[in-house]
Amino acid sequence: MSQPPSPDREGFEREALVHLDAVYRTALRLSGSPMEAEDLAQETMFKAFRGWHQYEAGTNAKAWLLTILRNTFINRYRRTKQRPEMVDITEIEPYTVFHDVQDANPAQTFFDRLVDDEVLRAIDALPEDFREVLVLSDVEGLTYAEIAASIEAPVGTVKSRLFRARQLLQRELYDYAVEAGYIEQRRDRP
Amino acid sequence: MSDPDAIDCHAAADQLYEYLDGELSPTVESQIRAHLADCAPCFGLFDFEETYLRFLEARTRAQGAPAHLRRRILDELFQHPEQPPRS
Repeated sequence: MSQPPSPDREGFEREALVHLDAVYRTALRLSGSPMEAEDLAQETMFKAFRGWHQYEAGTNAKAWLLTILRNTFINRYRRTKQRPEMVDITEIEPYTVFHDVQDANPAQTFFDRLVDDEVLRAIDALPEDFREVLVLSDVEGLTYAEIAASIEAPVGTVKSRLFRARQLLQRELYDYAVEAGYIEQRRDRP
Repeated sequence: MSDPDAIDCHAAADQLYEYLDGELSPTVESQIRAHLADCAPCFGLFDFEETYLRFLEARTRAQGAPAHLRRRILDELFQHPEQPPRS
């Protein structure tokens, strides 16, 4: 079979550029800088255009683009600095705030009080390995298998990182909501 | 317990997120659904975590790419001098 030609404008807009928001958002979460994110998103789209023949029609184009983005991000940063902090995930205690919230605010959870910027800041503060799987799963909706392929790790690793990332973020958001006075702290906690 | 397929609270909680993410086999999924129907504390926990995941999605997806970025990418790809735009 001969290699299919580069996509035409209409095809590229329909199949790839439709995911530009997702690519930009994820780039912003990975890099932490709007300028850097624009740059990464643009490079990702150029690479996708050039490598269009490698895209398997019928598979998740968003997952494919986010994988290209991740590789672009890693290549760029490995050149200039060491990979950011690695976290020993066994040191992080998974801990749902479900019980705290029940006791403190039976009628309303703290979710209603937090706005976008507060949540995004908390996500950006997560260790990189956790932030990555959480963004791919909970913001962009990739499956475990798609995330595993994207980060080149076993599905079991994705599961355990995602579990801890979600609980860690939940705990951070809860503590923040208490500190900001959005919700009352449970009485028996210091 | 009479039902050999029944699972306990611990087994249910272990698979909390896989259940909410739709990553379980139909058999395990229905075991958990059966447990949740019978167990109010687990039902409360699953319901809370499901609300949390919906909340995360709702608070993080509003942000989109700036309009000039989309234009710049299209211009670079389709309006280069050697690749004039079709009229």
